[in-house]
Amino acid sequence: MSFSQARSIPPLLLLLVALLRLSDAGTPAPTATVENTSQQTTDSISKSKELESTTFSPGPSGPSKTTEDAKQQTEAKTPDLEAVKYNITIKEFSTVVKNITLVEPTTLELSCSVDINPSLDKATIEVMWRMGNTTVKDDNVTKGEHQNIWSSQYTVHIKNRDQLGTYTCVFKTKEKSEGRFDVRVPEVGGKSKSLVSYEGDSVVMTCNSGKYVPFDWVWYTMNGSEQAVINDTLRPEKYHVSKKNLNITKLKVLNLTEKDGGVYWCEAVFLQLGESRGNASLKVLTYLVPLKPFLAIAAEVIILVAIIFIYEIYTKKKEPQAEGEKEFEQTEQLKSEDSNGVENSTTRHRKV
Amino acid sequence: MSPPCNTDLGYIPPDGGWGWAVVFGASISVGFAYAFPKAFTIYYKELQAAYNISYGQIAWISSIMCATTYGGGPISSVLVSRFGSRPVVIFGGLLCGIGMVSAAFCTSIFQLYICAGLITGLGLAFNLQPSVIIIGKYFLKRRPLANGLAMAGSPVMLFILAPLNQLLFDNFGWRGSFLILGGILMNCCVAGALFRPIGAATGPTKSQKEKPAIETLEEQPETGTAELPGPGKEEEEKDRDCCENFNKYLDLSLFKHRGFLIYLVGNMLMFLGFFAPLVFLAPYAKSLEIDEYSAAFLLSILAIVDMVARPATGLIANSRWVRPKIQYFFSFSIIFNGVCHLLCPLATSYSGLAVYSGFFGLAFGMVCAMLFETLMDLVGASRFTSAVGLVTIMECCTILLGPPIGGTLIDAFGDYKYMFIKCGIVMVLAGLFLFIMNYYNYRKLAKEEKRKKHDVAPKDRQ
Repeated sequence: MSFSQARSIPPLLLLLVALLRLSDAGTPAPTATVENTSQQTTDSISKSKELESTTFSPGPSGPSKTTEDAKQQTEAKTPDLEAVKYNITIKEFSTVVKNITLVEPTTLELSCSVDINPSLDKATIEVMWRMGNTTVKDDNVTKGEHQNIWSSQYTVHIKNRDQLGTYTCVFKTKEKSEGRFDVRVPEVGGKSKSLVSYEGDSVVMTCNSGKYVPFDWVWYTMNGSEQAVINDTLRPEKYHVSKKNLNITKLKVLNLTEKDGGVYWCEAVFLQLGESRGNASLKVLTYLVPLKPFLAIAAEVIILVAIIFIYEIYTKKKEPQAEGEKEFEQTEQLKSEDSNGVENSTTRHRKV
Repeated sequence: MSPPCNTDLGYIPPDGGWGWAVVFGASISVGFAYAFPKAFTIYYKELQAAYNISYGQIAWISSIMCATTYGGGPISSVLVSRFGSRPVVIFGGLLCGIGMVSAAFCTSIFQLYICAGLITGLGLAFNLQPSVIIIGKYFLKRRPLANGLAMAGSPVMLFILAPLNQLLFDNFGWRGSFLILGGILMNCCVAGALFRPIGAATGPTKSQKEKPAIETLEEQPETGTAELPGPGKEEEEKDRDCCENFNKYLDLSLFKHRGFLIYLVGNMLMFLGFFAPLVFLAPYAKSLEIDEYSAAFLLSILAIVDMVARPATGLIANSRWVRPKIQYFFSFSIIFNGVCHLLCPLATSYSGLAVYSGFFGLAFGMVCAMLFETLMDLVGASRFTSAVGLVTIMECCTILLGPPIGGTLIDAFGDYKYMFIKCGIVMVLAGLFLFIMNYYNYRKLAKEEKRKKHDVAPKDRQ
């Protein structure tokens, strides 16, 4: 609570501060150690944090989380990559959303910056960080180097699916300014329309996870009312799963029967972070289905052709005499045209 | 209106009556021949997935189909000379149907090349040429209009086939769709049934006109073709050997015909830049950040304007001011088309592209409507049977080369504008060539007729 109290245990404090420095690399180690020590040191550490205004990864304070945090500490000992930074710039009194897609455990450094009207003469603004509905950090920020930019940071290490969700920073100005980070695994694209295929034929279903490469793919099908995994080593004559380019997977189903129709799920597994599903539906038809329209059209063609031919014969029968006369007329015309034929072709050019 | 040109058919074409039914049938046939290969590309994605092949391999189906449709021209011509239009079109319709139905049961991509590419393409060839030929037999005074109306079948059929193909695919998958398309293509037989044979019906009439080859055609009085044999070759009937027999059906002496050669060279040049902009319009729009549906709508604008432009051009070309100089009108429409392409790179917004699509549709329709009319005008209706076959097989090469050259330009420069500029330049050059050469041709024809008149006049006196 006060510096005088803190002075009483300097070596422990130094040790803890050293550990805190390490934590700036991004591991939640201090959380674990904080929990193991007394409440006093916890308070003193938070105070020193305020003075330094560095980032640290808070965990929900409370003794019940000790074992979990210990686990975290052991896991965090592995060397980590640099934190991936994401920044949102919010204009005053508005909400901005940013989507973050992860494929593996990563450390995220989230920061929000607000551009506030200079007329505000407060020295500090309260910032609250939230994950889902629970508050994870309360912060007071001062004006940054640039006149009107106030920013706050929050680092979180995404280890498993529990940490996926929406992280929000709320600036408690007159009207709230909010920045939201949606952290999730990539979505898998399936097909919205069902594929149609025929008995005895084979069909290929594709799932695409865009530019993200999952750790593995699993295909499921509906067996009655349950989901069943499709194992292509078990039944290679029926199923063939190809995962050549890892962001695309293809399921080839051979020797289709009517039972093979239905919904298929492709699941992209992302290491430790969970899975993402896409679906494809399949319809298996017999050849009789398109045969009916085909026969209908063929019948229509035959009928029309027959009508046309019958009409032709009918009109020919009607005018056997008239035709003979016409022919005679035509020959007369042609005889006269014969001699004029040459001149006729010249008139075309003359009449320009 | 001046009675235009070559009445060497041996009879007066009706210019109406049953002719309009023939025009309707011809528009169906022509529509299938041009629109089917374009609408067929809807199935490519699914076929690619089913056979696990690349886009390049699948696109071969289009190329084979196109090549057989144009390359089968001479075969068409020979068959029409021998049997007349009707049997050939009915056979073509059956062939298309058989091709697509067998494609529905294919198990490899090579089988698909043969069934959907070769057989169907050949069937379409047996539809295209005879339809155009029979229009020349039924119409003379209103021939440009009839040609325009028949060619209008292409955009109309594309408008119907494209969504229909998508609907069939969603409901029946690609195999079922091929089966049903086989049935739909058999409607070409209906069109063929409408092609009632016409012509100088009886033998004695023909012999008066001193056409020795008629004797062989007497056995087939229904064919209605009065094929003009190669000059001087068939004077002696007994003197026929294999070459002359062939010449009777496919008139190779056309290669000495001045008008034919002008048409051939000009059109081969034009086709180098004719289809490429159509193929790349949608990808160009997408590269300018226009979404897929708006890009597809550009093609719809093109099709709608095309649909209206073709009969309208036929009407204009039929008028007494234009018909005598129809070749100039044709050259003008090609140059107009080329100028459109040259101005296209200036259009960078969606509305600019929409305007370009409208003008492109207009120019495209104008050129297509007069494509066969001008050939008929140059060589005459009786020699047209062979001429159309020879022209299509020679144009086949440049038609197939056009889009790949455009594609190479796009890949090489990474920009679509060079493809448009190349197409524009090629078409303007083709138009200018046709304009100048036809001017020369008209003058020569006028001189020849003056000379003939002088020759005839003294004969009459004798």
